[in-house]
Amino acid sequence: MIRVALVVAALLAVGAIKLPVERDLAARHRQEHFRGVEFNLDLREKLGQLGFIAALSGFRAIVADGLFIQAHVAWERTEWGRVLLLFRHVTTLQPRAILFWDMAAWHMAWNASVAAMNDRTQPRLALRVKAQREYFGLGKDFLERGIKNNPDRPDLYEALARLYKEKYKDHEHASEFFAKAAALPGARTYDRRFSAYELSYCEGRELEAYQRLRQLYDEGEKERLPTLITRLKFLQTKLNIPPDQRIPDSNR
Amino acid sequence: MSERHYRAFSFRRINAMTVNTLTELTRLKVFYVLLIFALLLIGSSMFMAQFTFQQEFQILKDVSLGAMSIFTSLLAIVATARLIPQDIEDRTVYTILAKPVPRFEYLLGKIAGVLLLLAISTLVMGAAFLLVLYAREQTVLHATLRHMSGAPREQIDDALRVIRSSALNADIFPGIIIIYLKACLLAALTLFVSTFATTNIFTIVVMAFVYFIGHLQATAREYWLQEHGASWITRVFLAVVALLFPDLQAFNLVDDIVVGTAISLALFFKTAVLGIFYTSIYTLLAAFVFYGKEL
Amino acid sequence: MSDPAVAVRGLTKIFPVPLHRQSIVAVRDLDLRIESGEVYGLLGPNGSGKSTTLKIILGLVSPTHGCTEIFGRDSRLVESREAVGFLPENPYFYKYLTGEETLRFFGRLCGLRGAPLKNRINELLDLVGLTKARKRRLGTYSKGMLQRIGLAQALIHDPRLVVLDEPTAGVDPAGSREIRDLILDLRRRGITVLLSSHLLAQAQEICDHVGILADGVLVREGRLQELIAIENQTEFVIADASTQLINEIESFINRSDAKLIERRKSTTTLERLFLDATKNDEARMTKPE
Repeated sequence: MIRVALVVAALLAVGAIKLPVERDLAARHRQEHFRGVEFNLDLREKLGQLGFIAALSGFRAIVADGLFIQAHVAWERTEWGRVLLLFRHVTTLQPRAILFWDMAAWHMAWNASVAAMNDRTQPRLALRVKAQREYFGLGKDFLERGIKNNPDRPDLYEALARLYKEKYKDHEHASEFFAKAAALPGARTYDRRFSAYELSYCEGRELEAYQRLRQLYDEGEKERLPTLITRLKFLQTKLNIPPDQRIPDSNR
Repeated sequence: MSERHYRAFSFRRINAMTVNTLTELTRLKVFYVLLIFALLLIGSSMFMAQFTFQQEFQILKDVSLGAMSIFTSLLAIVATARLIPQDIEDRTVYTILAKPVPRFEYLLGKIAGVLLLLAISTLVMGAAFLLVLYAREQTVLHATLRHMSGAPREQIDDALRVIRSSALNADIFPGIIIIYLKACLLAALTLFVSTFATTNIFTIVVMAFVYFIGHLQATAREYWLQEHGASWITRVFLAVVALLFPDLQAFNLVDDIVVGTAISLALFFKTAVLGIFYTSIYTLLAAFVFYGKEL
Repeated sequence: MSDPAVAVRGLTKIFPVPLHRQSIVAVRDLDLRIESGEVYGLLGPNGSGKSTTLKIILGLVSPTHGCTEIFGRDSRLVESREAVGFLPENPYFYKYLTGEETLRFFGRLCGLRGAPLKNRINELLDLVGLTKARKRRLGTYSKGMLQRIGLAQALIHDPRLVVLDEPTAGVDPAGSREIRDLILDLRRRGITVLLSSHLLAQAQEICDHVGILADGVLVREGRLQELIAIENQTEFVIADASTQLINEIESFINRSDAKLIERRKSTTTLERLFLDATKNDEARMTKPE
């Protein structure tokens, strides 16, 4: 009996020692973006009993993959509502997986929106356009939440910039998010260039765009790509840049 | 025979116990688990042909590392649970402890055997996983190079960089070490439970329970330390969970590592130290209980 | 050195029964002294406390009161077991090990290694007649073979005291004769043997000293020959005596104050009859049953 009491006492004492260590570790996890999985009834409802238990027992990633595969099947069957729902679960479980946010947004803004626009069951164009805009919005929402969960990585900024560029034709926002992507470690080399291209389309920001493009041009041959030269020449003309400051004509 | 000098602590004796435990577990064919792992690995990589390479790599990594985590944990619990009850039932423990072998060394040898088995299993599974991942990465790299043969150098480099970064990141290795340490912790805890359990089944059921509660411990702990409105019964319950159970969630880093979250050296070391701390404490407690056990 | 091989003083062991208010007294106020070099038999019916006493002597179970010593060292100390080899009742060793691996394992636990260990293993396998079966896993051994490998492991570190718990339980007559011969061989080599048994005929053949336990109490103790001698009776065993000689002896007795109690033909033992009858099947003994 004494031994049992001693063991329990030892366990409690160890517990008291390890408690601050574990809390410190949990704080560090948050700081380093290890999200883990949070115990809440909302998630429980979404995943069902089994999925919830699995997610809580250290199989979060596998459960998320399972749901992702289901979403993939739903996409093949063009069940857009189901795709949306499943991607919400997937991104809740794996908020650090860039791929899932990116895929979710792509399905909404590129695939579902096109499907909505081509919806033969809806004769009124205005309503089809409205539905399309709603899917753009859902795509944007996924990317914004993805960025909130992964502020340290460039990929989703870039994806959002593309969404603004291609779907909303919003060059100012597109330029802003390409620039944000370019500022982060691991960004693609073209992000900086794309940001400047997008800016060159913005009314009233031509001078700023010109300066950025010119700076890229001055960095050397590797940046002197056809689009850059075209945009630069366009801005030179528009801004009436003195001939001696212009780039040489030999550059096509 | 010449008079040998008795040593209170002998690595040679522990080594004999360790090797024997490893032999026992090996000859019980527990390594078949690894075969299942290999099949799972091959099966999942075949099934994923329909996805893009990023999706494929991610699922491959999730499934492999998730399977490594569950298999090492299962192996730790199931292999350890039977060691002591079986020895007592077969009376082999009498023969061993009737030799000049301290009980602590007996337990240490047993747990070391299990930890060695877990290390071998982790290494084998890790190697199989890396091999499959590498093979898939090479396939994708070659296919991409073929497709992009006319593209500018910069674009090709970008594409290859994306493939490489989505295949393997070096942070997976500390992640695998943490999986191993979690299994060590579970093995030591199982050893501790088995010193007062009467049957294997009891130990395994208790450990399944511990495994589940352990993953919720962090939630209970934060709730206990932050919420002040709960009734005292709830608070006592939460306190018991927080104090008595290990935080197993703290060892599930690999899910986030797979999707690219970088692990700092400090976080890795702290987690590793916590794992080693738990393993040692549970082994010591097991020894303490075992010393008082009437055989 | 005047320390006895085993000294037990005032030993009491009470096992509490969980969830019940009663407890079981396995051994009560036991005193024993086993001198170096003798074969001591601890006899008694099942449940009389023999195994518990042995386990306490070996430090596997702690006494409630009293103390036990092996060659002057307290049984609770691990080093006291350096001088002891133990063969438990119906031993199960690791089934996945071969006979040789079993001995190597136990040898290593005793700190042996290298060539001395190898030689010792060969020597013991030879002693217990398992040289041919050395590479076979214990899972395929017969009960008698297990008992013999058990005896070999008990002897691996050349102990001065060997403790055997029911060494012949469940073993056939040929096997038990071999074990008996091995025990007698140990005595010849000056090794003290403490054995427990409920097979009295066998104990009678090999023990110098016996103690009889009943319900945890030592009810008889002493030199076997003294204990079983009937003070007022004498036996003659005569070979080739004529009927006339025997009649004369009988009438001589009748004329005196003494009384003839029994007159009969000498008989062999059933065991010897069995062994003679099965002698030709010696080869079978090394095969599993």
